[in-house]
Amino acid sequence: MQPILKIDLTTGKTEEYRIPEVWERDFLGGASLAARILYSSLTRELDPLSPDAPLLFMMGPLTGTSGPTTGRFVVCGKGPATGLWAESNIGGFWGPELRAAGYDGLWITGKAEEPVYLWLNGDRLEARKAAHLWGQNTYTTQEKVREEIGEKSAHVCVIGPAGEKQVLFASIMCDHGRMAGRTGMGAVMGAKNLKAIAVRGVNQIPVFDLAKYAPLRSESNRVLKQDNEASVLREIGTAGAANYAEYLGAMPAKYYTRGAFENVDHISGARMTETILVARSACQGCVIACGRVVKLGDKAKRKGPEYETIVGFGPNLLNDNLESIVDLGELCDRYGMDTISTANTIGLAFHLFEKGLITENDTNGLVLTWGDVGTIEQLVHLIGRREGIGDLLAQGSRRFAASFDAEEEAVQVNGLEVAYHDPRGVSGMALSYATSPRGACHNQSDYFFVDWGHTHERLGITYFDRHAQAEKAANVARHQDWRTVFNSIVMCIFANTDPEMQARLINAACGLDWTVEDMMKAGERGWNLKRAINNRMGLTRANDKLPRALLEPFPDGGSAGFEPDIQGMLQAYYEARGWDVATGKPSRTKLIELGLDEIAQDLWD
Amino acid sequence: MAAIFPSEEWLKGLEAKLNSDTRYRDLARNWEGDLLFFIEPEGHLDERLTFYLDLWHGTCRKVEYKPPAESHPNPVFTLTASYNNITSILTGKLNPMTAMMTSRLKVKGSMGYMMRNVPTVLDFVRCAQEVTTEIL
Repeated sequence: MQPILKIDLTTGKTEEYRIPEVWERDFLGGASLAARILYSSLTRELDPLSPDAPLLFMMGPLTGTSGPTTGRFVVCGKGPATGLWAESNIGGFWGPELRAAGYDGLWITGKAEEPVYLWLNGDRLEARKAAHLWGQNTYTTQEKVREEIGEKSAHVCVIGPAGEKQVLFASIMCDHGRMAGRTGMGAVMGAKNLKAIAVRGVNQIPVFDLAKYAPLRSESNRVLKQDNEASVLREIGTAGAANYAEYLGAMPAKYYTRGAFENVDHISGARMTETILVARSACQGCVIACGRVVKLGDKAKRKGPEYETIVGFGPNLLNDNLESIVDLGELCDRYGMDTISTANTIGLAFHLFEKGLITENDTNGLVLTWGDVGTIEQLVHLIGRREGIGDLLAQGSRRFAASFDAEEEAVQVNGLEVAYHDPRGVSGMALSYATSPRGACHNQSDYFFVDWGHTHERLGITYFDRHAQAEKAANVARHQDWRTVFNSIVMCIFANTDPEMQARLINAACGLDWTVEDMMKAGERGWNLKRAINNRMGLTRANDKLPRALLEPFPDGGSAGFEPDIQGMLQAYYEARGWDVATGKPSRTKLIELGLDEIAQDLWD
Repeated sequence: MAAIFPSEEWLKGLEAKLNSDTRYRDLARNWEGDLLFFIEPEGHLDERLTFYLDLWHGTCRKVEYKPPAESHPNPVFTLTASYNNITSILTGKLNPMTAMMTSRLKVKGSMGYMMRNVPTVLDFVRCAQEVTTEIL
């Protein structure tokens, strides 16, 4: 791999960090390799918003190679809301550009004395003053930085006002609306007084054996282009899933208290396509193009929302107005805030207000009425500016609820708000959320797809009924390993690639001779390493749980009456993983089997 | 009415089933669209087999077994699968959603319409399974 550029914003010093070869082989790249690199830096005592906290922008060996959906990279560190391992995956073109500049990562520590942005032009790095950009929204900042550096072809990663103010679910954005949304990496960047990173590179992106890689790339893209799921994503976007998810009772409504949403067709991806869609957008090299471009009344082209934004600002808040969801998603983008966490935390406020646990005295006089778009919009502004109740909401749902002695009401796991795939409709998500290394995440294992029927027989990921329980635990673990491979190379989970082809792509790109089993072992190694990092930072078996709301049956919809048996599922999961049932830690035997002897010593000696 | 798959008798049986099944009629009440099935040769099937079904508002208006080539140039959906995959679906060995999501059943047509109507599609499959007594 190419070196990682280490930048200390306090001292201004830089150095090229060479990744040990054995780590490249064992962890490939992306989030898994980042976890190995940051392993010793991520301690229980580390304040994620302190100058000491690392922020690692990490590429994968396939990033920018125009393989199937490989335009992505990942941002890693310690989560400010969770205090755990944090990683957030992002598309666009910035990652490929960084690789073309000669680096496979940027490892940022320290804190600039005043707001700055970085301009990496090939191997020349410059820190520029950014006081005049502080307070600017993410879209404007990208444009202004590009203007200032006089390089239209540069790609710019930015934070918005939310990151500056350290909203704990602040995002990092690039290429207009591409977002590293989850786990608050934007707050970490803001705490470093780092407003943006512009990159321009002109080198060829390294591939170990391009002659071997190129035909595999063509073939896998050709197959992906014809894939049914890819066709759905291209034609109607990720929100195309809304109708079916609602039918199954897997799309939560009214802050996870209802399993049916009658007007789902008003907000679905199909409706968007028929009404306001004017174009589609894609990340670098992607043949799917799930991104939406829409036009509203002002006729301006703007980013259209994906499934999570649609459900978060739609059914979650009993809002069936698609155009308002577009606006709310854009508002979050401009502030630089994760839409899942923003909408979830606002939903919690509505929920507590309805239950009388908060009142107008707590909400700056706002009456929180379900479906009231004006109030939702005001709350987004208050969060982005950290004003009034927004200052409390900006700390995420766990802390917001705790401040009203209502922590059990918050639908979150370990400080990360639950995404909008409900385990009462697709039970595998119970384990996905409870055991994800970064909190309640649907991208560490999008197991809902498997519960719908998307099996991977070659990997031993078979079909279980969507309401099966402990019997699917090993299947979930296997799927997590598979997605950990994706997050290390770094590839979008929408690429429905054949595992044999995926191993061949990795081999050609990295000079390996791996089987599918070797590849899956790397995924398992990465998953266990992240677990070990979290164990060292204080995570125990008690952290593996679901919020109360997800354990209470829905009163309505396609999954009414079903309760996930999370304890039974966890027991089977630990056994399948080879983890110590008492502590939830990876066993010494398992760690050694995965070649993680040093980690085994740390955890068990 | 039940029959051996694949045969004209089977297809007629499916037509009768779709027109008499109250659950299908209810779920498919808004469905508007014809289907052209291509079953690719494999196993006991030596050459490509084509079925045509005209489905409209919960009824089956017409079926054609081995329609002439190009007789239905613009069906709302074209579905293509190998013989073994189709028979696996009909015998319940292959989940129809799995078949679609893993592209073992290839779908050409409006994906928006398909995603809105997955329950209808699944119930169509149920009817097809119920009329299948034997696989050739």
